[in-house]
Amino acid sequence: MKLSPAPFPRFPRRIGLGLGAVLAAVLAGGATRIVQDQCGPFTDVTPQICPYVLEMYYLGITAGTSPTTFSPDATVTRGQAAVFVSKGVNQAIARSSRRAALGQWWTTSSFTWSQGLGVTPLPDTLGPVISDGADLWVGGSTSLFRVRASDGKLVDTGTTTGSLLSAMGRIFVGGGTATGALFMIDPSGPASAAVNVAPLPPFPGSLAFDGNLIWTANNQSGSVSIVTPSPTTPWAVTTVTAGLQAPVAVVFDGHNVWVSDLGACAIRRLDATGAVIQTVVVGSSQCIVGTPVFDGANLLVPTGDALSVVRAADGALVATVPIATAAARLAFDGERILVESDGGGQNAPRGLTLLRAADFAVLRTESFIGIGGPSVGGLASDGLNFWVTFRTGNGDVLARY
Amino acid sequence: MRKLLMAPALLAAALAGAATRLVQDQCGPFTDVTPQICPFVLEMYYLGITAGTSPTTYSPDNPVTRGQAAVFVSKGVDQALARSSRRAALGQWWEPSSEAALGMTSVGSGLLAAAASDGADVWVTDYDNGTVSRVRASDGRLLETWTGADHGGAVLVAMGRVFVAGATQPGKLYMLDPSQPAGAVTTVASNLGDLPSWIAFDGARTWTANSGAYVTLSTVSIVEPAASTPWSVTTVGPYSNQEIQGIAFDGTNMWLSHFGGSDLLRLDANGGVLQSVPLGAYPRQAVFDGANLWVPLLPTNSQGGSLAVVSVATGNVLATLTGNGLDNPIAAAFDGARVLVSNYPASVSIWRAADLSALGTVAMTSGTSRPCSDGVSFWLPRSDGRLARF
Repeated sequence: MKLSPAPFPRFPRRIGLGLGAVLAAVLAGGATRIVQDQCGPFTDVTPQICPYVLEMYYLGITAGTSPTTFSPDATVTRGQAAVFVSKGVNQAIARSSRRAALGQWWTTSSFTWSQGLGVTPLPDTLGPVISDGADLWVGGSTSLFRVRASDGKLVDTGTTTGSLLSAMGRIFVGGGTATGALFMIDPSGPASAAVNVAPLPPFPGSLAFDGNLIWTANNQSGSVSIVTPSPTTPWAVTTVTAGLQAPVAVVFDGHNVWVSDLGACAIRRLDATGAVIQTVVVGSSQCIVGTPVFDGANLLVPTGDALSVVRAADGALVATVPIATAAARLAFDGERILVESDGGGQNAPRGLTLLRAADFAVLRTESFIGIGGPSVGGLASDGLNFWVTFRTGNGDVLARY
Repeated sequence: MRKLLMAPALLAAALAGAATRLVQDQCGPFTDVTPQICPFVLEMYYLGITAGTSPTTYSPDNPVTRGQAAVFVSKGVDQALARSSRRAALGQWWEPSSEAALGMTSVGSGLLAAAASDGADVWVTDYDNGTVSRVRASDGRLLETWTGADHGGAVLVAMGRVFVAGATQPGKLYMLDPSQPAGAVTTVASNLGDLPSWIAFDGARTWTANSGAYVTLSTVSIVEPAASTPWSVTTVGPYSNQEIQGIAFDGTNMWLSHFGGSDLLRLDANGGVLQSVPLGAYPRQAVFDGANLWVPLLPTNSQGGSLAVVSVATGNVLATLTGNGLDNPIAAAFDGARVLVSNYPASVSIWRAADLSALGTVAMTSGTSRPCSDGVSFWLPRSDGRLARF
């Protein structure tokens, strides 16, 4: 029974039938049919609810109360209900990720970067990265790069750089200079064609969008600016300082803009005019408050030796997740959180920690050790991959994780 | 006094308004739900998960039976999956039911063996001509064709590269950088086991399942990436001197479709066998859906076909599906909600992944090979050189 070389693929092959095989197949088929008539493995489930019980069984949410019973009339405790719902939510999230459709069930490793794989070398010292859904925009010290996410190809280069935001079909750049400015790039044109749309305080370090207005955090001047788009430039800017000390980042949760206030070791909820309406102290032993990310329910705040989880609905600190080294920045892909640790010092270990967002379980940790060794400049997700600007010491790269 | 002057019509409207307000205050149609839990109860009602215990009651303090809980959870998962699919956002609620409704891209003159998506484009191999073509998923346009992938069949997108297994003796692993202009592929390893015909990735290493020059000599090759070529290859096997016809990764383990052994093999990180799952039929290329492996099965009498659904948590066979046009099934693909199985020579069978219900079958006029999904459409390479979009 052989062919050499074998044709590819061996689709048409059909195998001769032995008596033993026939018997085995009949038995297997018979057994399968009987079980299916009885609602999968269960003998106590009525046809009316059988499809739902089977879906729970197929999704791995429950195995029943015994190998042959589901006990449909038994009541559930709140504890059992929690298991059902969270396992159901986990399956819904895992299957609705784009990674599922592309069969990417693996967790990548930064090991591949050193092999030159999954990286796009970019000729600059790299900082923040954002996704517009198809392309990545990467800020360097003097250049802005546009990289196609599907294949990592550098497709355009501009010269306006700073903090980044994708909104309203445009790319916005908070010009990080002593004379602050908000620049706008139309991605249907060249990246070099940036328009100065609004004056800002010096060094706007973070941008957010609330659906109508662009918000900036201006650490140096202790302020937040609110920019109103209009058909003509310059756009109107309102800058507020009341109740703020050292605002380093802004993020929008669907209702409110929150600001990380380094001076207060806190995040603050703002109303539509920029007034502080709630202050939540975060972090444990260190007063580090990085750029938060909203995951649909919570604000995830890097706070040095931990990831502080603040429920956006009421501002409750619901969890403090320890992170091995100083957590500085993070990104969320709908299912997972990638946390960058900068080590908090030249000699400290730097690295990445990958967490599952639903339960904050650690999936993988990566360390980059050494003085002047590799470090991370920024990170983002496009919904399929995480993207990390990685300073290798031998040229900076945009790396796919 | 003014109240007394109110016309009967106005009075009726005022009363009706009051009545409407009263019902809204009472949580949609339900009169027994407190404001604290009303938003959650209403979401269950609006999502079609429950209609309440009567037209006006939800009975929030009643205990829930396990049967009722199953209905709640599975209907909730169904809605979450349906609404989070990219197909929902694009309004693609249909299922294709005939070949005439499919998009077709003419890719080449040979047998198209397999396809893989990078999220934007679909990469498809032409086994006869040794080429790898890039088709834009949004419009089905053939963008470019790479050459030099001699006997290239199985294809994988990983680490920002496209990998193709060359089914030669010994086997080869080809790589191309999709950010570069199309040209000849790079051979990164030339010493794989004989006839590598299936490919998978574990996050760091590329695995191929190799048919072997003889069915008793099927092996697995594990290829480690390196900064320079050739990449190192470790070849493991054979596996009980039985033929292999597929390999798939579940996030933790590789699984081998151990065709000749009529079982599925769970492997450790070195290719050693951790578990055998007897299937009673010949397994081919499986796909993982987040909880289970879907394994196309050729019956031992070679007539028709079936589909095993195997829990990776336990290795238990949860169900063995038949019908729905299954006929000599060869490979499966998953799009997040549905599983598409290609049947040789000329049809596909589609299933709903959550409850394993049959969604239909589509007959083809050309042989089918190994499909993939880009999250919106399934893509099916065919033996007539065309790539079909579902």
